[in-house]
This record gives sequence, C-alpha cells and structure tokens, in this order.
Amino acid sequence: MTGPMEITLTLLVFFPTIAAIPMFFLGRAQARAAKIYALVASLIELVFGVLYLAAHWGPDGFPLVHDLGPGAIPWISSYGIHYDLAIDGISMPLVILGIFLLPIVILGSWKGIEEHWPLFGASLLLLTTGVLGALLAYDLFLFYVFWEVMLVPMYLLIGIWGGERKIYAAVKFFLFTMAGSLLMLVAILWMAWKFKELNGSWSFAYTDLLRLDLPLHQQIWLFAAFALTFAIKVPMFPLHTWLPDAHVEAPTGGSVILAGILLKLGTYGFLRFAIPLFPHASEAARPLLLALSVIGILYGAMVAWVQTDMKKLVAYSSVAHLGFVMLGLLAIDSVAWQGSLLQMVNHGLSTGALFLLVGMLYDRRHTKKFEEFGGLAKVMPVFAFFLVFSSLASVGLPALNGFAGEFLILIGSFRTLGWPVVLATFGVVLAAIYLLKMIQLTIFGPITKDENRGLKDLSGRELAALIPLCIFMVWIGVAPDTFLKPSRKALDGVLSDYKQRIAEPNVVQATLRPAAAPSQVSSTATETGR
Amino acid sequence: MNSVHVDWMVLLPEMILCGGGVLVLLLDAIAPKLRRAFTGISLIATLAAAWAVYYVMPGATATDAARTFAGLIETSPLTAAFSFVILLATALCLLASQGYLRREKILSGEYHALLLWCATGLLLMLRATELLTVFLALELLSLCLYSLAAYHRRIALGGEAAIKYFLMGAFVSAFVLYGIALVYGATGSTRFADIGQALAAQPSVPVLASLGFLMLVAGFGFKMSIVPFHAWSPDTYQGAPSPFVAFLSVAPKVASALVLYRVLAAALQGGAGVTAYKWQTVVAVLSVLSMVAGNLLALVQRDIKRMLAYSGVAHMGYLLLALVTLTRASLMPVLVYLLAYVLMNAGAFAVVSMLYSRPGEQHLISDLAGWGYRYPLLGGCLAVCMLSLGGIPPTAGFLGKYVVFLKAVEDGHVGLAITGVLASLLGVFYYLRVLYYLYMKPETRQPEGLLIDVWGRTAAVLAALLTLALGIWPTGLLQWLITATAAK
Repeated sequence: MTGPMEITLTLLVFFPTIAAIPMFFLGRAQARAAKIYALVASLIELVFGVLYLAAHWGPDGFPLVHDLGPGAIPWISSYGIHYDLAIDGISMPLVILGIFLLPIVILGSWKGIEEHWPLFGASLLLLTTGVLGALLAYDLFLFYVFWEVMLVPMYLLIGIWGGERKIYAAVKFFLFTMAGSLLMLVAILWMAWKFKELNGSWSFAYTDLLRLDLPLHQQIWLFAAFALTFAIKVPMFPLHTWLPDAHVEAPTGGSVILAGILLKLGTYGFLRFAIPLFPHASEAARPLLLALSVIGILYGAMVAWVQTDMKKLVAYSSVAHLGFVMLGLLAIDSVAWQGSLLQMVNHGLSTGALFLLVGMLYDRRHTKKFEEFGGLAKVMPVFAFFLVFSSLASVGLPALNGFAGEFLILIGSFRTLGWPVVLATFGVVLAAIYLLKMIQLTIFGPITKDENRGLKDLSGRELAALIPLCIFMVWIGVAPDTFLKPSRKALDGVLSDYKQRIAEPNVVQATLRPAAAPSQVSSTATETGR
Repeated sequence: MNSVHVDWMVLLPEMILCGGGVLVLLLDAIAPKLRRAFTGISLIATLAAAWAVYYVMPGATATDAARTFAGLIETSPLTAAFSFVILLATALCLLASQGYLRREKILSGEYHALLLWCATGLLLMLRATELLTVFLALELLSLCLYSLAAYHRRIALGGEAAIKYFLMGAFVSAFVLYGIALVYGATGSTRFADIGQALAAQPSVPVLASLGFLMLVAGFGFKMSIVPFHAWSPDTYQGAPSPFVAFLSVAPKVASALVLYRVLAAALQGGAGVTAYKWQTVVAVLSVLSMVAGNLLALVQRDIKRMLAYSGVAHMGYLLLALVTLTRASLMPVLVYLLAYVLMNAGAFAVVSMLYSRPGEQHLISDLAGWGYRYPLLGGCLAVCMLSLGGIPPTAGFLGKYVVFLKAVEDGHVGLAITGVLASLLGVFYYLRVLYYLYMKPETRQPEGLLIDVWGRTAAVLAALLTLALGIWPTGLLQWLITATAAK
C-alpha cells in the first residue's frame, strides 16, 4: 500500500480545510508566509492525490472505491443520511484535475493578489474541500452540503479580490447558483420522502435513490430542479449571464478555479445525478437541452469573436466549450461520453492556462484590452509561445488535448444525433477564428504602444505554473487512451443502465427497483440493507 | 380529578432563576462594588437552573404522573429540551451584556434580575399545561421585557421602543385573556387536554371556541412576531439595548412556539377533518405571509438591527411550515429550528452590541465596512451567523431549514416548501450584504468608544462555534431531540 499512513478520500477532502485553519491566524502583513504555506499545503495535497491514485489504479479501469465502506458512518442517522464518499472512473479525472490546479492557481496568484493573502489562501483551500466533496459524495444530502460549501469561498474570491464591478459579479454568481440549488434541495427532500414511503425508512444514499422508479410526470419536475441547478453551473445558454461577469471580475486565480473545475461540477452533475436518476425525463428533455447546447456553442463562439477584452473572450469561449461537453453528454453514446469527460479535463487545462496567461499580462500592464497590446512576441517570446500553444490546444489542433475530446464528442454524437452535430462543428471553426484573432492582435504585428517595449518575459514561477499544464495538454493529445481507459467502464455502466431503463416502459405508480445496484456499483460495493 | 400533588422540587429551575434574580438585586443594594461580578453570578444561576432542569426531568417513558400542582405544570423531556434552549439564550445574552452595560455606564443589578425573571417566566410558560398559568407566566415575562426594553434611560429611542412594545403588548395580553375566556366558555376548561376532549365530544366546533383560539394564535403570533402581528419588532429591536435584543429576539419566540403548538393541538381535536383543514390554511397563510413579507422588508433595511428584526419575522415563517400539518412530529423540526435561530441570532446581536457604540443612533450596516479585517474574530463570528441565517451549509441554520422543509415535503406541502426556499433566496441577498461590507469595502469609520470585553467575545465565539458544530455533526443531538419530543 502507500506506507504507514493510508490515504483516504476523507483525507483528500478535508486536508485542505485543516490546512486552512492556521491561515486565519496569520496577520495581514505575513503575506509571504501565507503564500509559501498555501503552496506547500497544496503540494502535499497533490502528493496525497497521486498516492491515492497509485494505490487504487486498476488494470481495467478505475474501480469504484467507497471510503470506509458503503454507508459506514451514519451522519444524521434519524434521516438515513450517511457520510459516504466514493470515487470511480467518472469522478477520478475531475478530482485529480481539482487537486492538480490548486498549486498552479497559487503560483499564478503570487503577484496578482496584493492584500489579505491569508484569507485568499484559506478561501482557495476551503473551495477545494467543497469541490472534492461534491465530486465524491455518494449521498445526496452530503452532495448538497458540499455543493453549497463551494459558494462562500468563491463569493469571497470574486468579491474581495475582484475588479471594478466585483460586488455585482459576486452577488450575481451567488444568487444564480443558489436559486438553482435551493430547488434541487426540495427535489432531493422529495425523493428521500418518496423512498421512505416506498421502503419504510429514510435514505439519501445515491444507490438507494437510483432505485426509485417514478412516473414521467414526477420525474419531469425533479429533473427540472436538478437540471436547472446544473445548467446554471455549466452554464447553458440562457442561464450563462453570470459567467462572463464572474470571470471578468474575478482575480486570475478565481477565474482559473472557476473555469477549471467549478463549471465541471455542472456537467458532472448531469452525468452523475440528473441523467441516471431521471432517465425518462432526460429522454423527454433531450431535444430542448440539445438545442440549448448547440445554441450555446455557436452563441458563445460568436460573442467571443466580437470581444475586445482578452478575459471576456476566454470567458465566452468557456460557454462554447462547455456546450460541446453538454452535447456529448446528451448524445447518450459511449464514445461521446468518453469525449465529454475528457473534454471536461481538457477545458480545465487549456482554459486554465489561457486565464493564467491573461492574468500574467494583466499583472504587467493592468489591462486586458487587445488594443493595448500588439507585437508582444518580440518582447515576450516565451509568453507568446505559451499563448499560442494554449490557444491551439483550446482550438483543438490534432496532437493536442482539445482535438481528442472534441473529435470523440463529434463522432459519438453524430452516431446518435445526426445533423445537429454538423451545426456544432461550426463551433470548432469559430473557435479557431476568435482565438487566432486574439493571438494576432496581441502578440503579432508591430509594437504599437511604448509601454509594451519594456515588458519582462515570464519568470520561473510563472513557468512553473504553465509547464505542468502544457505537459498534460501534449500527453492527452498524443496518448488520449491512457486517460480514457480508467473511466470507460464506469461510463459504460451508467450508460447501459440508462438504456435499460429507457427501454422499459415508464411506470404508472412510483415503485422501487430491486436492491441489485447498478452494474458499475455491484462489482466492488456490496449493498447494505437499510 | 387527580388529587392535588404538590412537589415543590419540580419548580427547582424556576426557583433557582428567581432566587438568583433576587440575590443580584439585594447585592446591588448592599454591595454595589460587586456589580462587575453580577454577570458571573447570573451565569451561575443560569447554569444551575439548567442542571435543575436536567435533575427534575423524568425518564423518557414518564407520563402524566410527572405533572404536578394538580397537573398545572408539565415536566417532561420535551419541556426540558425547550428549557435548555431558553437557558442557552439567557446565557448568551448575559455574556453579551456586561460590556455594553459598562460602556454605557448603566451596569446595575436590576438588569440581571429582570433578565433572570424573564427566563423564569419563559420556563413556566412552556411548562404550563393550562391557559391561566400560561397567562400568568406570560405577564411575568412581558413586564420584565418591557422594563428591559426601556433599560437604557438616557436614550429617547429606548423609551420609544419600550412604549411601543408595552402598548401593543398590553393590548395583546387583553386579547389572550379574552381568548382564554371564550375558550373556557365554549369548553368549560382551561386545560389543553380537557379543552381538546371537550371539543372532540361535541359534534362541531363552537364559534366561540374558534374565535378564542384565533385570539390566542394572534397573541402568541405577536410574541413570535409573525406577520401581521410583527409591527412592533423592528422599532423595539432598534431602540432596546442590543445585548438584550439578543434575548428578546429569540427566547420569547421559543416558548411561544410551544404554546402555539399546544393551542393548535387542542383546537384540532374538534370537528374532525374540516377543522384541521381550516387551521392548516390559517397557519399556511401566516407562514407564507411571514416568509415573503419578512424577507422583502428586510431587503430594504439599512439598519442592521431592523434588518435582523424583519429577518426574524421571516424565520418564524419558516418555522410555521413545520406546524402546518400539526402532529407530534412537528415538534422536532420546530425545536431544531429554534435552537439554530437562538445560536445565530443571539450571536449576531452579541457582535452588533460590541461593534456599535452609539445606542441612540442608527446601526447602519455600512458602518461595518472593512471591519472584518480590523476585528477578525468578531467579524468572522458575525459572518458565520449571517451565513447560518441565510441557510448555507454547514451551519445550524441550514440544518434547521432542512428539517423544516423536509417536514413540509413529508406532509405533502411541496408548494409551501418551494415558496420557502425561494423566500430564503431573498434572505441570502441581504445576509450577504453584511459580508460584503465586512470584507469587500474599504473602512469608512474609525472605531471609537467601543468596549470589546472577554465576556462579549465569549458569547460571539460560543454562538458561532456552536452554530458550526450543530451544522457539521448534529447526529447525537438530533437523536436526543427526536426521543425527547416524541415522549408524551
């Protein structure tokens, strides 16, 4: 195993919280100590993550591992709520991404954040706890708790260290997210109550609630509550308005975390909860959601095209990229799902890198407008290299990560959906247009502003933040199968379950399916009767 | 009729509190130099009372035999649980008070004595099993509350607050008394149990009884500041001493909620399904009005005490959700919600009383700008309380909302639950505003005349820590509360 101390998911989730506590005792002046402390803490967390991965990596995919056994610790036992964390091939890539981005974000914020560093570091660490918890929770109540825990640190990140309209952006972010999730809470409560009505005892366990077989008219309402929550987080087309505000106003580190991992919680939520829990409703809502995804791809790309602010451009490109992920998920196809999961990671890497680069430029010039730059390749060649590299990864150049994800999504969804996918491919073309436009206007051409002549190229610290991201961009691009394989089995399990339930006629009365858990769970976890 | 069984020991908690009050009052006359020690003495009395509550509490299986004074006083795990919440509020208020009283140079024994007597009245009120005892306790409580509201003699706002509270309160007392008379007239008894039986024996509910019950609901709705009986609370909170508001805004609501439950439970005995439906509608309407109006009005407040007053209205609206379908199972969510509310609201007022030095003026939220960094501890406590009031996990406030909304869903009131969550979204907006001023705005005010003492800090930290603890690991407490509220 992994030495004297076994790494558990609990440790992964709560180590950042424990590490955050001493930060509150650091004074305002001790920024340097806070930075180093936070970096060390995040690196330790990364080591834990890698060790955990190494300990559980299986030859045929990443298995479902319950921390402490399924439902081992009753949390609020009178309501059947358990403290149950579990990891499988679906959550694993995102968990690792979240842990991996943390030190990078801290390095990327080294100079950009000027005041209240202890609180900043603590917020990042607490946010990581929320993100990891939400990804790992196997109990819907626990999931909801972690989901909400993410809100406050992000609110602080945007609201304290943000730009001019930071308050507006922070409150908008908070209220949008909360509006969805409160309705989801009612839906979760309703499901737990329904389970009690059918089974005689409370349960919020994911595997228990999966057994609920509900008539379509009930599924529709529940699905609507879940889908609204997740669609806001993704964000899908008409609900995306909070995202550009949040991104533009957030500090670099906040943007990287937001784009890198927080948005993925929305798509993860669809994949883990909304689609498997309510298959018939998902099937009914697919046309609408598909249309919104395609609109999101094209709209996001076109709005990105006309931006004059680098950060806004990257923010709108997120809307388009997440539209691709949603398209893949809604295709209900095994290849498309693999592509979607991979693309979630890809977007975290390449958009994260782009936000970091924009932030580095902003640290030097305190502006993000295209017109202020031009010809940067001459003064900052290394910066220019990384900007081109990350942009190409984001566009989907073959041999870089974006290509693998988008290609799988497109061929997978073409198998099941046909022509709408053709529309979505225009998104790829548009992505090339707006990102190349950004590159052209900022780093090529003559140097138009004298202030830019003296700009320093990237420092060692900045390189340390960017190089790991770029290594993975190449690695995923060259050998995508290494990254697809661990998740394949888990994804196929969910998919076959979904298809099986769709094939069955919808029930008239709410019933409970037999306790045989879905195939992906049954292999490693034993159901406890409760 | 039972034979009159007088067991004085059953009143031990009340006697300790009452005696503590008298002791402090005497000491104030004999040895005024000891005034600084009054907080400690009163706290000891409160703790002793808590021990006494535990001591006289029968096992979970005890039945009516535990009622003494011919069944006028109930001693059960249920009343014990409510008593603990009241005593917790009293302790938090006492801790928060000393700094304020010293700063304003009004430290004297009367304050502590009146506060302890308030607690005495509250304990009696929630243990009373018949309406006249309830009324006596209510009057004991109310008179002490009126005096305390006016305690800061030098500020005009305090007098105004007390007069408003007193006039409305006296009016409501008359209402309650008239309600009791009507119910007695219709059923021939003032005991909750007998009233219920008398109603059940009649083919339909007499109009007199319904009218009486409505008056009682109005009376206790007033104490809980439920819309439309809430108008007094913002003005009174604003003018009364801030640490006392930490008590006023929570403790009377705790006892009144239990009395309201008993009144409704008695009323529901009569007339079968029709009555149940009518009362359901009444409570549901009051609940929705309180949630929506409370949150909307709180949204536009600039004074933090008024904001908390309106938010309290909204919180009582959430609480009523659990009482819409009234069963014995309603008590657990109600109690959890009240406990959470005591912690977070008293914590918030404890911080407010330390950070605002001019009691006669407005307590603008914007005055807190940037103080989250100047006072990291108090700012952090206030932030935790605000997040808890907003129902963000992992805090007690979220736990309270969860149990209440779950009860509503369980009873089939999904629409009410959705109204509740949407109303609480409004709430998040103004609670966040406090955080926004604390951490995201530059300072606008230099601290002057503040007195931040160790007692007050203890109150704030205790409240914030308990708020978090209850939100993170409520397992054992919930289990105990379920058994306590389920036992008759």
